Amino acid sequence: MTSTPLTRRGFLGAAAATAAAPILAACGSSKSAGAASSGGGAGGVIKFWDMPWGTQAYTDASKKVTQSYVPAGKNLKASWQGIQWNNFYQTFASAIASKTGPAVSTGGGFQAFQFAEQGAIAMADNVVATMKTNGMYDDLLPGVLEPFHTKDGYVALPWQTDMRVLWYRKSLLDKAGVDVPTDWPSMLAAGKALKQIGVIGFCTGSGAGNFTGNHWTISMLINNGGGVWTPDGQVDVVNDRNLEAVEFMLEMVSAGVIDPGAVGYTSDNMDTQWKTGKTGFGLYVAYLPQRVGDTSGDIRVASPLTGPHGDKTALQFINNIMMYKNTPDQASSEAFVIYYLQSLKTYWQQALVGGIPVFKSITQLPEFTKDENAVKVATDYSPVAKTFAARGTASNANTAVLDGGQALNKFAQSIFTGKGDAKTILNEFGTGLQSAVK
Amino acid sequence: MTEWVSPMTTLTGNLAKARRGLSPGGRGGARVRSRTLKSQTRFTFSAMLIPSVVLLVLINGYPLVYAGIQATHNGSLIEPGDFVGLDNFATILTSDAFWNAARFTLVFTVVGVFGSWAVGLALALLLRTTIPGRGIFKVLLLLPWIVPIVVSSTAWNWLVATPDSPMPALLGALGLGKPLFLADPTLAAITVCVFKVWVSFPFMMMMSSGALASVDDTLYEAASIDGASRYQQFTQITLPLIARPTYISWILMTVFCVNDFPTIYLLTTGGPVDATTSLVVYAYRTVFQDFRTGPGVAVAFLMTLTLVLVSTMLYRQIRRAHVE
Repeated sequence: MTSTPLTRRGFLGAAAATAAAPILAACGSSKSAGAASSGGGAGGVIKFWDMPWGTQAYTDASKKVTQSYVPAGKNLKASWQGIQWNNFYQTFASAIASKTGPAVSTGGGFQAFQFAEQGAIAMADNVVATMKTNGMYDDLLPGVLEPFHTKDGYVALPWQTDMRVLWYRKSLLDKAGVDVPTDWPSMLAAGKALKQIGVIGFCTGSGAGNFTGNHWTISMLINNGGGVWTPDGQVDVVNDRNLEAVEFMLEMVSAGVIDPGAVGYTSDNMDTQWKTGKTGFGLYVAYLPQRVGDTSGDIRVASPLTGPHGDKTALQFINNIMMYKNTPDQASSEAFVIYYLQSLKTYWQQALVGGIPVFKSITQLPEFTKDENAVKVATDYSPVAKTFAARGTASNANTAVLDGGQALNKFAQSIFTGKGDAKTILNEFGTGLQSAVK
Repeated sequence: MTEWVSPMTTLTGNLAKARRGLSPGGRGGARVRSRTLKSQTRFTFSAMLIPSVVLLVLINGYPLVYAGIQATHNGSLIEPGDFVGLDNFATILTSDAFWNAARFTLVFTVVGVFGSWAVGLALALLLRTTIPGRGIFKVLLLLPWIVPIVVSSTAWNWLVATPDSPMPALLGALGLGKPLFLADPTLAAITVCVFKVWVSFPFMMMMSSGALASVDDTLYEAASIDGASRYQQFTQITLPLIARPTYISWILMTVFCVNDFPTIYLLTTGGPVDATTSLVVYAYRTVFQDFRTGPGVAVAFLMTLTLVLVSTMLYRQIRRAHVE
């Protein structure tokens, strides 16, 4: 057997080829990916990215809805891709930047405004026009479409609302001998009465990954006729209504009505408090009993609170579906969105999502009306619900900064720790928010 | 039949001959050939390094350059925006939140490095002694390092978060009240630091065990004969002899602590009221929650610079720690 000595030149050549191969491959794949993905759809398909809005059953259903789509005429078919909530903004941002993103997607509540500001969103005015002709527009519940209207058009379309609801545990209120809170004084009184029987009055939380406490603080500002924006979207944090609301929240903290551990509570901690009957009432998502697995009927929805100045409001986040300019065919994107919105009822028929529908027809489905709590949320909360954009109506990219930003989280945590006075806390909130918004 | 000789064998053989000046052709010829060989070898080795260097530059250099662009622009993750010079650096350096995060990073790192080292070294010393079930102990003690941080942070949350969690309940039973470890800013900072020590001590234990294994037992025997106490043996023999690996472990743990995102983020997200916000958490939240890419990346840049400086200082310490 003859062995061939490996020359240095040969070895170097092989090493260089090995080193260069991934780079060349990357260049090649980049080029081909760019060509294939031209317009948010590899191979002339409308790429639809969906978030996990429920359990695996929801994901399966969403995939099935997408794959069942039969486009009319020359419209393109659609493909489905699930996106995880972890780092979702980075996922979308990097995909959009590299032009490998979707043509249509669901996503964060204010994501459409952010990407619209960066020129990546295709306005949905044509879809709205179609909805006006086919009856879908008239079927929408009041107030769910307006928040998406900007000076450039509709940045997205609503598909469900994520309402923040005041829940109470009936047996504990009965034990404490108090009525269901209807306004701020009765909420404080109920909390104090619950404390007398060794129960935490108000459950909330602003620990790791938990935004419930943030939402409650903003909902209280709005319930007092305040809010952090002027009607035209400018930051306005330090005002009399907000001051009054923060003073009341601090009073709840000092009275021991708010769970002293709330500042560090995750959603799981809150679930435990609710599930184990340790809390009397609190603001939470619209599907609390299902979330904590309580089928006793003891956890019930209270009516929206009336603020000291007569405002009866609630806070909602409107989950939406958006289109991107990076599409192989805009008309196909629009046709798919119409189809998808028309297919939404399947999620409520199968009880796959916990939000409140945006279409009246879905709220009349027997599968929906059998849940008394959900019906109460739809009838009592939806008509008075406002978004983070209050006192304005339309959201914008700055609303996203408020939603997940550091300023609001610190604001809520400052209140829950009870350290500092209302004006100082609001001033810090205003300064923090102002430095973050554009 | 000719015997096959590996090219590397030939190369090294020639090198060795060249070094000894023993190659045929006389001494003058040997020097010339030696120089030629050295030159060729240097070229060969340099050329062999090029692919790796190119890859390293591409993998590390490109993100660094791009981050530099982002730090000096006012753009987003999608578009670079306008050039703003050093404005982003000025913004963060005049921000209270940045200095608050820097202070906590310092505390977290100092406690994380020296706390985990002290615990790790103590356990490594303990494991040198003959105790029954030593192997099982070793495995059990490694668990905090092995278990994914998502799992351990959930476990710690369960241990301390609510008034009915095991730790507050235990302290309550002992008449010490029911402290809410994640609700009080000071307690939360302490909890996060202790959590970091708990997660990191197995790494330090392994590093210390490795270092201790290289210490010759006869040194201790000799010291005992000379009348040295246990403490003297530890401070005069053990610590000096394991100094170099110890410094290396400090460098590594410093980098781990400064860059540690999940330990803090999963347990407290930097709260309450920024009490546990480190620089890396601050950078993340600035970029991905406040959507201020430029200032956030500028924080990351300053972190990198600080880490390089600290690592260089500790590395110089290693060179000084050579023990004859």
